[in-house]
Amino acid sequence: MSTARTIWLVFTREFKARMMTKANVISMAIMLTLIAGGAITASYFINQESGPPTARIALDSATWELSPFLVSSAKQNGWELDLTPQTEDEARSILAGEVPGSVPLDAFVGGTFASPVVVVADPDDWIIQGIITGAIQNKAFNEAILSLGGDPDAISQALADAQPTIESPGISDEEKYGPEYGVSMVGLMLLLFVLITGGNMIAMGVVEEKTSRVVEILLATIKPTRLLAGKILGVGAYGLFQVATLGGAMVTALVTLGLTKDIEVNVGGTLALIILWFLLGYTVFALLFGAFASLVSRYEDIGAVTTPMTFLVLIPFYTALFLVPEQPDSGLVRILSQVPFLSPFMMTIRNALGTVPWWEMTLAVVITLATIPGLIWLAARLYQRGVLHTGGRLKVSEALKRTK
Amino acid sequence: MATLEVDRLHKSYGDIKALDDCSFDVHSGEVFGFVGSNGAGKTTAMRIMLGVLAADSGEVRWNRKRLDLETRRHVGYMPEERGLYPKMKVGEQLTYLARIHGMSTPDAVAAVEHWTDRLGVGTRRGDHVQKLSLGNQQRVQLAAALIHNPTILVLDEPFSGLDPVAVEVMSQVLRERADEGVPVVFSSHQLDLVERICDRVGIIRSGRMEAVGTVDELRVTDRPQWRLEYGGDAPALREWIKTLPGVKLLPSKGKPGILLLEFRDARPGSEQEILKGALAKGPVHEFSPVRPSLVDLFRGIVSSENGEAA
Repeated sequence: MSTARTIWLVFTREFKARMMTKANVISMAIMLTLIAGGAITASYFINQESGPPTARIALDSATWELSPFLVSSAKQNGWELDLTPQTEDEARSILAGEVPGSVPLDAFVGGTFASPVVVVADPDDWIIQGIITGAIQNKAFNEAILSLGGDPDAISQALADAQPTIESPGISDEEKYGPEYGVSMVGLMLLLFVLITGGNMIAMGVVEEKTSRVVEILLATIKPTRLLAGKILGVGAYGLFQVATLGGAMVTALVTLGLTKDIEVNVGGTLALIILWFLLGYTVFALLFGAFASLVSRYEDIGAVTTPMTFLVLIPFYTALFLVPEQPDSGLVRILSQVPFLSPFMMTIRNALGTVPWWEMTLAVVITLATIPGLIWLAARLYQRGVLHTGGRLKVSEALKRTK
Repeated sequence: MATLEVDRLHKSYGDIKALDDCSFDVHSGEVFGFVGSNGAGKTTAMRIMLGVLAADSGEVRWNRKRLDLETRRHVGYMPEERGLYPKMKVGEQLTYLARIHGMSTPDAVAAVEHWTDRLGVGTRRGDHVQKLSLGNQQRVQLAAALIHNPTILVLDEPFSGLDPVAVEVMSQVLRERADEGVPVVFSSHQLDLVERICDRVGIIRSGRMEAVGTVDELRVTDRPQWRLEYGGDAPALREWIKTLPGVKLLPSKGKPGILLLEFRDARPGSEQEILKGALAKGPVHEFSPVRPSLVDLFRGIVSSENGEAA
């Protein structure tokens, strides 16, 4: 039987074994429901809060002349006002919540035009208080200008025009962390998710075959490398399926909500590189997860393998996350991004942040590709030795030792 | 005739010699019983035959050719500990195993139906393996070994945990396969069963084959034993026998008239002289050779070797 057919058989079993479990079906259904629910809730709030925030302020006849000042003061703060004439008694009882069915008020401005008295619904709402205070100050300012014989409108215009032009020799954050950066970060997060969940699934799968001893029947028929390859590919495909389904649902939700309107950037090249590094990263780490899991025989011992492996995934991830944006072109970063286990994370971010010389990118891909046969050899060796070993944990050195 | 040859296998785990020059042959059409105490090396030998373990030296041949992965695909193997995916349905699992042994899907499905029905687990095809009782899991395990119509069968402890009905079915199946020309090797601690089913038996101790042959061949000994039931004065007869050369009286249980004799020189016809002498002195109710069972042979080999070692 051909290698491809064997791997394909193992692959389909692994994929199905994960897809067809109740736990998977239920968790996928819950995730999709949450995304759909989130989208519906978000659309409700987005539609509600379209347009600037609005406050409702009541004035009595004595203070009604403050209206234009209040409107312009609110505008400066990015608010809109809904002004309504009311007597002080009416307004106070509405503010105290004593009039059921009435439209709620945020504040009432009473007293006299010269010295107003403000009653607010919420004493801690400094925005409303700021708007009213600003309006009263503007009124006083205008009166002062008029008394000095000036033109308040001209002065307001002059003030509004007196704005400096701000420049920076560096790249602004918006430019630096553009859509490519966002997309790359999402890609990295997904890689991390697939690595950790997939890695654990591979480890569990290997130990399941060991504890159930089914591996003995399998190895009497198929080569360990093919069994491991089929397993890694099957679990990987399942991980990709999860990412594609959940990611697809999220993108659909975002597009439906119209939140992607402003993101019109060509991320094609970036996306291709993210996918390339995703696949390379998955292969490298999955091989190690499978190989090291074969060293333990019981589910209880699996942590002894998956915990260090999780660190092996998290350390490059956080190194890339914090080191690369800090010093994208430093020698350290350029060297580290050639290291096989670091490059999938570092190159993805470096590529998003700016131009990585093509030869550096190519070199990193070549180095990672070159380590894969070595890792397959290591994984096959550990797996072949470890997978039939029962009892305590097998030491790596013992597993690698050649027997005659 | 095609033969499965196990040739001078050596395997050590550190200082422990699991297999020490272990050799035996199983001919096609033969049921071979592999017997030995715990840790004697049965499972190690079987694992090496299946290629799941590498021998330090020696090789396993089928039809004079070294057993390789391609040939092993046609071996039906049942590991000592049950080896199935616990969370996979019986039918799906057997179909999968048939397919990785190279069967097409329709053939695999047909074989699954045939063997699950034959082994009495046909109604459980849709259940997860872990839901089955241990005995039924064992039946599924045997189905897994038979599903791809193997040309060689290697079964490690196939009878452990089975009820008498299942033991009967399993023995029948093994015999049928052998009758179709398949060499069948199985290990077991149920020696009466081995004696009944097997054409030949191999007794292994500390990694060495101590005895290989048919049970009758193994019974042949240079110290044959005879049982004599005497109706006369037994103490007098004992005294007489003690004076004879080459005959030893063994302690015997039961009535005082029952004597157990062991012939040391194994001269042909020496038992006839005893019989004549005894008849001359009194009535002899019974005089018969003692045929050691496999249990006796096994015990003899294991205990004598242990005695030497001690």
